[in-house]
Amino acid sequence: MRGRVMRGRALCVLAAGAVAGLLFAPVFGLWALAPPIAAVLVACYAVVELCARVPALLPVRPVLALVAGAVALVEVSLFRTTFHGLPTAASLRALAAGVTDSWQLTLQSTWPVRPDAELLLFVPLLVLLTAVLGVELLRWPAVAVTPSLALLALSQAFVAVSGAVAVLVAFGYALVAACLLASWARSAVVPTVALCLVAGVAVAAVDPGPAFSLRRTQAAHAPLPRTTSPLGEVAARLSDPDAEVFSYTGDAPVDRWRLVVLDGFDGVTWTPADRYRRLGVGIGPPAGVTVPTESHSARLTVPGDGPWVPSQAMPASVDGIAPLVDEATGALLSPGRTGRVEYDLRWWEPRVDPDRLRDAGVSAEFAPGDLGIVPPRVAELAREATGGARPTFRSALVLEQYLSREYKVATGEPLPTGSGWPQLREFLFDAKRGTSEQFAAAYVVLARIVGIPARLAVGYRAPTPAPDGRVVVRNRDVLAWPEVAVAGVGWVPLDPAGGAGGAAAARSGLAQVTAAARADLPPPQDELPDPPLPADEPVPTPGPDIDFRELAAWAALGLVALLALGLVAIPAAKVVRTWRRRRLTGPRGVVAAWWEVRDRLRAHGTRVTPGMTPRDLAAVSEGPVADTLHRLAHRLDAALWSGAGADDGDVAAAWEAVREVRLALARRPVGARLKAVFAVR
Amino acid sequence: MTTHVTQAGEVYERIAANVQRVVRGKPEVVRLAVAALLCEGHLLFEDVPGIGKTTLARCLARSIGGTWNRIQFTPDLLPGDITGVQVYHQNDEKFVFHPGGVFANVVLADEINRGTPKTQSAMLEVMSERRVTVDAVRHEVPTPFLVIATQNPIEMAGTYRLPEAQLDRFLMRLRMGYPDLDAEVMVIISDRAGVDPDELPPVVDIPTLQNAVAQVRGIRIDTALVRYAATLTSATRQYSDVRYGASPRGSIALIRAAQGIAATHGREFVTADDIKQVAHPVLDHRLILTPDAELRQRTAEDVVRDLLAKIPVPVAGASGG
Repeated sequence: MRGRVMRGRALCVLAAGAVAGLLFAPVFGLWALAPPIAAVLVACYAVVELCARVPALLPVRPVLALVAGAVALVEVSLFRTTFHGLPTAASLRALAAGVTDSWQLTLQSTWPVRPDAELLLFVPLLVLLTAVLGVELLRWPAVAVTPSLALLALSQAFVAVSGAVAVLVAFGYALVAACLLASWARSAVVPTVALCLVAGVAVAAVDPGPAFSLRRTQAAHAPLPRTTSPLGEVAARLSDPDAEVFSYTGDAPVDRWRLVVLDGFDGVTWTPADRYRRLGVGIGPPAGVTVPTESHSARLTVPGDGPWVPSQAMPASVDGIAPLVDEATGALLSPGRTGRVEYDLRWWEPRVDPDRLRDAGVSAEFAPGDLGIVPPRVAELAREATGGARPTFRSALVLEQYLSREYKVATGEPLPTGSGWPQLREFLFDAKRGTSEQFAAAYVVLARIVGIPARLAVGYRAPTPAPDGRVVVRNRDVLAWPEVAVAGVGWVPLDPAGGAGGAAAARSGLAQVTAAARADLPPPQDELPDPPLPADEPVPTPGPDIDFRELAAWAALGLVALLALGLVAIPAAKVVRTWRRRRLTGPRGVVAAWWEVRDRLRAHGTRVTPGMTPRDLAAVSEGPVADTLHRLAHRLDAALWSGAGADDGDVAAAWEAVREVRLALARRPVGARLKAVFAVR
Repeated sequence: MTTHVTQAGEVYERIAANVQRVVRGKPEVVRLAVAALLCEGHLLFEDVPGIGKTTLARCLARSIGGTWNRIQFTPDLLPGDITGVQVYHQNDEKFVFHPGGVFANVVLADEINRGTPKTQSAMLEVMSERRVTVDAVRHEVPTPFLVIATQNPIEMAGTYRLPEAQLDRFLMRLRMGYPDLDAEVMVIISDRAGVDPDELPPVVDIPTLQNAVAQVRGIRIDTALVRYAATLTSATRQYSDVRYGASPRGSIALIRAAQGIAATHGREFVTADDIKQVAHPVLDHRLILTPDAELRQRTAEDVVRDLLAKIPVPVAGASGG
């Protein structure tokens, strides 16, 4: 295989690997992936070039490429493991972990993941493997493209692209694959491009529902450490009220900080969900929240030990520590934490007006939840408390009002503890006094009985800020509260115990809106009116599975994108090509001028074969162009074959010929010139 | 080097100018013929009658001076007439070698296909070996030694077609082709003016020609061009329409002929265009097509033309295109 063809094919294979590797961008972010991928590909190409110049190295080319790629990866992504730039045993261990662990860590994280080397290493390593295999299979271009195709498929298993991005990716991959196959069989180019584009448009247009993702099918939740439930600590903490728990400063008022959310109840214990992931760069508002949201942040200082760290309902990002997160509840977990930590927390808060919230229904996405074996009379009490109204946010508020009105917050010693059915029966029917633990747990079970999805959160009430803005949270602020799922708004916290105890006025936006909705409730003796039912959504008429209009729209969009790309990319590529040629010196500069003339004439419709010399081209050209080509032929022959080479004057004269040809072609009709501008070659 | 090549170029100019006093309108054929002479290649002129191939051969022979013989090939021509014979001299009581027609610097083998295969074979052997062996005694032919043969490919009755395997003894096969109108007018005027090829004066002497031949051998040719020539020749062997392609001798001939052409341009180096210019005269007669290709009216010219268009011209390792 001739060197130039081989180099061209190698570049195509590397580019195909780059396209496939960069498709992991939704997982890691483009800027995190680009440097390591570029490093391994550059190293791989350097080895290809070296072996082309030193044929004796060809038998060990794959080994050389793997080693060079690995070293480049260490220098770019694992420099901290090197000793003054030299790879160490730690570097090897990190690379090995990249092969064995990094893909699993990635699946255990929210996306986009933190751009840590230990997570993303498997992508550049796969790109390196793809490149090495592709280069070794270059003799059969149709086979050489398969490793990158496999990597592309794997990237789609992690996160599938769709829409215009899918079309653009298909176009990009088609270009690379077509270039590679063109060196093998020109007839393969058009089918390749067409196939990739069809695949891209099909992926973009057909919406098969939730795309397959390894993240969904792979059990990749981080294990939950065994620890005492914060719910059981409520009474104990209230016994030592002055102990400081944590402190914070923030840019917005906060009503409460959560440690954990317990949504499992078997009649005896409340348990959190085991669905924690590593927190990545950031997460957006949950999919079920359709109302607008705003972002707030705070800096927290948490002394002491324990895995739970304070959080908000919808965390967006955490800087300073790398915790696990339960995206559904917002709880943050820092396994193995010992001692003080400081971190910046950013979170989302929904913005909703009181009327909308008061009339909202409960979210149909969540089932009310388990209750164990419900004791007698409890269900009757639940229906009595809500007045038999259907489950809505309004009935949730009525239930909250009922508890705060009929029950008292326990003070003094001994404080009641426990939140299983026996303790709740004692609270609901006998003692009728309890801590926020019993209030919240009773609320959740009663709400679930009447069909309101509810869960139990444990955390702290936020006390009034000091004049310097710093807020110190102490044991006395410990609080358990119920949350109900409201359609479009997410989980809204309520506080049956707070009302009974005469809590401070609500400070955060959502708490204020909830308070306003609560204030609009009718007096307890009045019958509770149900809020209006939401208007019936139009029932879609049955039709074909594929929306051909949408398909056509996407196809049109793809074509428009292609057209736009062609309008910009083709002339731009030609300008860049000319610019690169103009930079060449010596004989290569004269040759570059010849190539420039050849390509310009070809763009204007002159039939050019690979075997043509400038004189051959002059024979099929007319007038001044033919004369110019003869002069260029003289320069080219002298530069290439005389042994004397070419100086700057020769190069300048050759490019003067290019200018003359360009001027001659500029006199052609406008249509012909436009056609030439967008001619592909 | 430049001076030497300039002398070779001058030799070409003088011969070409002399020949073109008689042969009008065929400057490229003349250039190729002189190029063949400058690189010591034997020439075969092949075309229909009346085109002027014999005239051109006679003009060339006359122009380069030295000794020259014309052998008119006929069926009764014997090998001995060409190579020479041993004759017994009774007075001296010994055999004396009487040289045949090939013992000249320039031999014009007219209508070579009218000779018997045995005679042709003797001629072709001398062309290759440049010597004659009679009764185990070797007799070297003069140096330089150039054979200019003519052949009529259409009047085949009573002729013996040259064996295809032996055709590559000729460096080039040239076809005259019909002249265009202006050239034909000039031919007629020239004929009326009574310019006789046999009256052309020699314009170079043998030492000058030998000197020019030696200088042409030293013309620079880049390795990339050698590879290009070899690629062309090699490609003829892999072409589907070709039963037997050109041998490595064809590659050598291509390079030598390109050097000759470069000399006629007064250049001290060979270019890709030189190789392309001699590709047809050098390669066409060395290709034997498959019967199927011949049935489809394909010709060796088509094959070479196709290869010249397809095989990329080298650019000596430059990149960026």
